[in-house]
Amino acid sequence: MIRRRLLLAVALAAAVPLTAQEPAGPLVSKALEAETAGRNRDAIAAWRAALAAGAVVPGVLGLERVFSILAQEDSMIALFDSIIPRHPKEWQLRSAQLRTLATVGLDTRAARAFTEWRDLTPADVTPYREYARVLLFNGRAAQADTVIRMAADALGTTRALVLEVAQMRAALGLWKESAEAWRDMMAGEPYYEQATVFSLGPAPAAARDGIREALSREPASFGALQSLSLLELGWNAPRNGWTVLSKMSPSDTVVAIWKQFADEAERQRAWTTARDAFTAIHAARPDGEIALRGAQAALKAGDAPAALLLARSASPLLPEPRRVLDVLPIELEALARLGRATEAEAVLASAKPAIGEDGVRAQARTIAWAWIRAGDVGKARAALAGAPLAAEDAVAGWLALFDGDLATARTALRNTEVPGQDVISALSLLGRTRLTRSEPIGQAFLALARGDSTNASKRFEAAAVDVSEGASLLLTIAARIETARRSEERALMLWRRVAEEHKASSEAPEAQLEWARALRRRGDVKGAREHLETLIIDYPGSALLPQARRELDALRGAV
Amino acid sequence: MRLICWMRRPQITGRILAAGLVFAALAGTGAPARAQHLLVPMDDAQSNHLKAYGVTFGALTDGIRSEWLLNYRGGAFLLPDMPSLRRAAALAGVAFEPVDGAALATIRKEITDGNMDAVALEKAPRIAVYTPPDAPPWDDAVTLALNYAGIEYKKIWDDDVLDTDLSQFDWIHLHHEDFTGQQNKLFLGFRDAPWFIQARDRDIATARKHDLSDIPSLKKAVADRLRSFVERGGFLFAMCGATETLELAVGARSVDIAGPFSDGTPMDPDADNKMDWTRTFAMQGAHLEFAAGVNSMSDIDGHQVNVPSRRQPLGTFSLFGFSAKFDPVATMLVQDHRNVIGDYYGVTTSFMRKVLKPGVTVLAHEEGAPWVKYVHGTYGQGSWTYLGGHDPEDPQHNIGAPPTDLALHPNSPGYRLILNNVLFPAAKKKPLKT
Repeated sequence: MIRRRLLLAVALAAAVPLTAQEPAGPLVSKALEAETAGRNRDAIAAWRAALAAGAVVPGVLGLERVFSILAQEDSMIALFDSIIPRHPKEWQLRSAQLRTLATVGLDTRAARAFTEWRDLTPADVTPYREYARVLLFNGRAAQADTVIRMAADALGTTRALVLEVAQMRAALGLWKESAEAWRDMMAGEPYYEQATVFSLGPAPAAARDGIREALSREPASFGALQSLSLLELGWNAPRNGWTVLSKMSPSDTVVAIWKQFADEAERQRAWTTARDAFTAIHAARPDGEIALRGAQAALKAGDAPAALLLARSASPLLPEPRRVLDVLPIELEALARLGRATEAEAVLASAKPAIGEDGVRAQARTIAWAWIRAGDVGKARAALAGAPLAAEDAVAGWLALFDGDLATARTALRNTEVPGQDVISALSLLGRTRLTRSEPIGQAFLALARGDSTNASKRFEAAAVDVSEGASLLLTIAARIETARRSEERALMLWRRVAEEHKASSEAPEAQLEWARALRRRGDVKGAREHLETLIIDYPGSALLPQARRELDALRGAV
Repeated sequence: MRLICWMRRPQITGRILAAGLVFAALAGTGAPARAQHLLVPMDDAQSNHLKAYGVTFGALTDGIRSEWLLNYRGGAFLLPDMPSLRRAAALAGVAFEPVDGAALATIRKEITDGNMDAVALEKAPRIAVYTPPDAPPWDDAVTLALNYAGIEYKKIWDDDVLDTDLSQFDWIHLHHEDFTGQQNKLFLGFRDAPWFIQARDRDIATARKHDLSDIPSLKKAVADRLRSFVERGGFLFAMCGATETLELAVGARSVDIAGPFSDGTPMDPDADNKMDWTRTFAMQGAHLEFAAGVNSMSDIDGHQVNVPSRRQPLGTFSLFGFSAKFDPVATMLVQDHRNVIGDYYGVTTSFMRKVLKPGVTVLAHEEGAPWVKYVHGTYGQGSWTYLGGHDPEDPQHNIGAPPTDLALHPNSPGYRLILNNVLFPAAKKKPLKT
């Protein structure tokens, strides 16, 4: 009886082709059409018809998809029972059967189906691979591990299962071991870097050093290094990522990897890293567009010398209109930040035939800033002569402030379109005092504009002696500068002065908060608590109260 | 500087202004004038409802008697006017209003004339939270609330429940522990996850230490100790899956209701009929879920969040109003500044009405739904309260979701229900009038 059935199955297998033949073609198209349109009932009927007409694999896979959408995967079980005996070695049917059985929770039957398939093709890795994948997909990493070990015992190697090994280990939280498997994988097939990043990305911080070691150990493939660099970007450590790649000798492949990394770093606003990557790409394969992006990244990173260098090397590689439109503003901005005002004026003058009078006027503010950085307020003022009025107003306000002309600055700075911290500080101070002139205040703001923070801080502190009505604010500006410079001792001294000598000032709550933070950084939790409590109790109307309460909660471990 | 004497003001803005001026008074250089009492409003004038419980609890811990003014301004607290309490309230951002003798008389008159009452709070309850030793603080809404409010508690786990005298605590809280010993049937999806394996191994080791054969036996023993704790006069508050599974575990003392994946033997096929509902606190006649592949314990929960084909959408639930003078306990448990609150899922989200015992007090329900959200009752000399759902400020609460930051929800009406339960054992016992 069994023999007769087997004969029948063999005969059927010979008679029914596995893929769609001519008569089944239109039926497959009809089924696909119904499935795409979301007419699931029609799709089931059509796939069944296609299956009957000989399109076995497309028919079964189609039915699997539709029943999955309807959450009726169990409807597939009977179909597999009837069709697999007719096509026992068809791996796509076997794989679909494993998926279905696992999805509906028939684990024992799935294991039995796997065993049956494995025994049918003992030298084939496919049953192991497909079953391991199904188990991994269902979160059964430990059982997938068992299957992979069985493959190793039966086949003598898991070489063909490296991908599954890597996924399985990551799912089990065996991060270093997973990285090792991914490394092996990419030694032969480097295009798995995105899969590696997806798999290892969730690794906790404590496990990352193991991953770094596994992926970067010599000899490391390009894929492994690229994966590690992208992982580092995802872990918010772009500098580490570039360190991995920068050691590679440039070749077309390496430059392509660098380019992908630079794009990603730029997208993540990791400006210093993007600057370095673009610089390296440009050095290996000179490219005006790359150099220009490098210059922009350098400017955003606050690295004016690099921006200038890259902009100038981009210029000859770009067409004339791009030089004026894109390179010139970056070059001028970089020169301005460097205080190289004479050079900036010369560059602008040489570009005048191309950009015209209007173009020159549009850069007047940049030139003025260049002179301010150079410490020459007079020439900055001269640079603004004939410049568009809208730009002139705010800059004129700054120039007046630098001159110590507080009256003019008080009016003009109000017109600043986008007020930053510097404008807010200046306007706060100007609103606090009735003085019309003050050289010390002007000198302090000028020092700040020049980027001379040490000098600026000292000048603001000194100005507090002369301008008593704004003393607390001047000391606060000095303290903010020192805090930003991480000059802890001097910052703390200044915050203490504000908190103790100007208790009634509007800056006192900020001083208490910063004082508390400084103490907390030193590990003095008790002291930090006292100052936070002082802030909350003594300054109940302060806008800093929510922050103080939050930090107080954090100190006692409540949040 | 002059302090504003407290007067009942109809406008909320007036109250906020009063609170602000009180704060302003504290900032002054001179010592502020002392009223006789501090009223901590719990209506919309309160800036931080959750920490208000902490301030009151702190006063009780220091031996300072307080009063809970039920149904008065959202369930306000009345504290003696002391510098330490003013300071504690100010640090916590809790609004308060000084009240002199005349104003207090007006308040008491208003309370006497309306559906309100004043309950004395005498002593800070001794609190225990049943939680695994390695559980992060955000794993449990009660731990979160207690930490945020600054209320001290002790953590207990299986060994403590089985080996120590639970009468040292007034109040025990349970969260989403599965007392049927099936680890919330997470076996289905997480059996290979390291945290799941670690929890299973830990529980098996504890079971063996106590000469018990498996996790279901261990959890049944723990559940029975908790039942005895209530019977002897303790207060038990449970949320999420602990509510349903505690009932099932207590009722299944002599029947196997655990699936084979947890104890190696199948459930008793006649388990439904063998359940002893006379032992349980709140439920009766529920039907157990026999399918190991269905992530549900029984038909107690109305929402069945982990069974896609049965899951019910979230609605809102309404708190019942009780007579403060006749039902002070139920009234205490529903003190809130909102009567209708958005629902939130948990392993057990709600309780089907049809399985509630007749004597159970329903504190909150969903209008028109066959389930209720919040129930309370007595058992022996003690009492219990069940609140469905996991985290009032995280309605979906998926495994791995980021923790709730209560600093962003200082006025959470859902969390207030939890803290009502924390404070209610501090109330001076009055004989029930109904």
